[in-house]
Amino acid sequence: MNRTIAPDIQAIDHVSLPKVESITLDNGVPVYGINAGEQDVVKVELIFKAGKWYEEKNLVADYTNRMLREGTTRHTARQLADTFDYYGANIHYGAGFETGGATLYSLTKQTEHLLPLLFEVFTESTFPENELATILSNRKQRLLVDLKKNEFVANRQFVQALFGPVHPYGRVTEFADFDQLTLPDLKAFYEHQYNASNLTILVSGKFDDALLKQLNLLFGSAAFKGPAADVTLSHAVSPAAELVHHIEKADSVQTAIILGNHAINKHHPDFLKLSVLNTVFGGYFGSRLMSNIREEKGYTYGIHSSFVSYPHAGFMEISSEVGKDVKEATLTEIEKEIQLLRTELIEEEELQVVKNYMSGRILRSVDGPIKYSETFKGLLLYNQTPDYIHQLLRTIREVTAEELLQLAQQYLDYDKMYKVTVG
Amino acid sequence: MIKFEEKTLANGLKVIVHEDHATSMAVVNVLYKVGSRDEEETQTGFAHLFEHFMFEGSVHVPEFDTPLQNAGGENNAFTSTDITNYYDILPANNLETAFWLESDRMLSLAFDEESLNTQKNVVMEEFKEHYINQPYGDVWHKLTALAYTTHPYRWPVIGLTLDHIEQVQMESAKQFFYKYYRPNNAVLVVAGHVKAGEVFALAEKWFGEIPSGEPIVRNIPQEAPQTVPRLLEVTADVPVNAIYKAYKMCARNHADYHAADLLRDILSTGDSSRLYNELVKEQKLFSSVSAYMTESIDEGLFMIEGKLQEQVSMQQASDAIEAVLQNMVQVAIDETELTKVKNKIESYLLFGEVNILNRAMNLAFFEMLGHAGWANEELDKYRAVTAPQMQRVASEIFRPEVCNTLHYFAAAKN
Repeated sequence: MNRTIAPDIQAIDHVSLPKVESITLDNGVPVYGINAGEQDVVKVELIFKAGKWYEEKNLVADYTNRMLREGTTRHTARQLADTFDYYGANIHYGAGFETGGATLYSLTKQTEHLLPLLFEVFTESTFPENELATILSNRKQRLLVDLKKNEFVANRQFVQALFGPVHPYGRVTEFADFDQLTLPDLKAFYEHQYNASNLTILVSGKFDDALLKQLNLLFGSAAFKGPAADVTLSHAVSPAAELVHHIEKADSVQTAIILGNHAINKHHPDFLKLSVLNTVFGGYFGSRLMSNIREEKGYTYGIHSSFVSYPHAGFMEISSEVGKDVKEATLTEIEKEIQLLRTELIEEEELQVVKNYMSGRILRSVDGPIKYSETFKGLLLYNQTPDYIHQLLRTIREVTAEELLQLAQQYLDYDKMYKVTVG
Repeated sequence: MIKFEEKTLANGLKVIVHEDHATSMAVVNVLYKVGSRDEEETQTGFAHLFEHFMFEGSVHVPEFDTPLQNAGGENNAFTSTDITNYYDILPANNLETAFWLESDRMLSLAFDEESLNTQKNVVMEEFKEHYINQPYGDVWHKLTALAYTTHPYRWPVIGLTLDHIEQVQMESAKQFFYKYYRPNNAVLVVAGHVKAGEVFALAEKWFGEIPSGEPIVRNIPQEAPQTVPRLLEVTADVPVNAIYKAYKMCARNHADYHAADLLRDILSTGDSSRLYNELVKEQKLFSSVSAYMTESIDEGLFMIEGKLQEQVSMQQASDAIEAVLQNMVQVAIDETELTKVKNKIESYLLFGEVNILNRAMNLAFFEMLGHAGWANEELDKYRAVTAPQMQRVASEIFRPEVCNTLHYFAAAKN
């Protein structure tokens, strides 16, 4: 046996997607079901248009969501927690930029006990004042700790520079924001956003019709309808004029670096091809940034680039934490790598590895109902259908080095990037 | 229930196959029974540095990652106090690529001097990123040194100092490799859209010729029983006071392990857990508090840690934690609460099985502990725990004389 010769590999030219069943509850709430898997577990994700995009005051979306666990007209916070835990359930609450809601992870056999309580959370929450005070006090402490982390500080600086301090994607949490938050703010946001008119449900794992019927009885009720979120709402972006931002930290042994600028998001037709360019550049372990700055130079434990897509904007960013003494050397290498992509064609062999790697990543992203539900949720945010995944696989196969060179010239420009360094 | 077949090759390599034809992927997981507990005190952090070095090319293959990525796969690894675990996930029809790569690096490494130097730098940056340039980053260094005086658990997996990593020589890497990275000290698990017969044939083809190593005889210095409480107070540039309590507890294979884990669940799993409700929500002494265990092969630690609210003294915080723990010693857990944590565990274990990689890692981990089949006995072992047993275990763990407390003070603000 000759160990220097690699075994033959087969190209990935096809991906088979789990079936998604689509139904509509009596009140119009769309439900997507991915019914598959071996284990008797189910994930029920309630996705409301209740993200930061819709808040009028900083933190309202986040803390309205956070307070959902704190009690209803019929149950205290402790009673809710006791019951959810008793049936072995995990509930992850969370609000992001666009959406907010909760995800229930449960044994299939227990959902009938849990869904009524979950519905109660979205219809009868009481927002007790003392619980809010405790939560805010704890969060202030967490912010104090986070502000000691260079990476955290750099990220705040970066998004503010990109979007300005008012835009939902750019505004960060200041201590004063906690004090301005009031219960009426949260209750109003709850009424406006957390209702059936703003809801999409995603169910994955093993489940039967009884679960769907129960969802309809609860979340499908006419009384749960409410004002629909204004999807035309827009916010003005006000980027910083200054590109270079440095915050000195005398005691630091490392410097956090974030570079980047506005780019396109998933709505743009170039985005798929750009994801290939990004993978070559800094999107996987074998990327040019990793090979050069970690594996050759040993300047960092990790360096990554990404084209971040949000429904209302997109941007590219390169981030790393490097030895303080090699900060300038790292920036020089990043600039060199960008120049290379803008001036020289990516060699066929390197491009092929990236294509194969990305195709494998697609297979992993749809492997099993629960994993696929994450991918599918990503599509929903952009009103895309699963065909987008086939399209991505096709694009990966067909994109050429010439196209990537042109995209690099269009979307990667070191001179126009914001450069944030902390440490 | 994870079904599997197993076989041991002539060179001692244990091979375990778990078929799952619902996926199109395959996982190849190689666990080496070596971790930071096998290090010399003058060369701490070595096992983890060596994990990095394992990706730097082997005797016939200049690079590990690229061929795997080219086969549509991805990989990673981690090092703990007890094991070093490598895994590859790739489309099942390219399975043999992972066999080729994993077997070649078990056969022999390239031992390239320049790569070793680069990885030393990478690991030193990792050390800085996670243990120096972070608020509370040195806590684990302080705690392990406080809780263990003799056993190699007294230093963290990353290593005691940057110097230890910088000073590593190639000769040590070679010795370490030929001692611990031999087939008789490894477990190979292959899971996913594969056929057991084919996997066993591939294992024979690629791993069969790798020579066996000397049987490993461990002389790990064991800890004398702790008889007095230990306290360390430090002040650092952090914004908030924090407290850590590390109680000595039984090893992972001990019959009381599952009872201890359920105690931990009662204290700290979910919004209904005792520490959160009593100390954060009711008494408002902490902004966060949690419990966890080190789950180590030798005697481990049952950890409580919390961040104090501004006006709360260390003494108050310490007393409050102890009151919660003593309550578990004095009052038996009632049926409802016991059922709750058992239901939580059932759910946790079943969700853990959704992921094919988790299943593969579990089989390897339990094989390392004794038998892969134990992976399927976990739920029964938790179900068998009784309230009196938990009370006894609580009384054995939550004793002041086996407690190591770290008071981590925020430096006064300027």
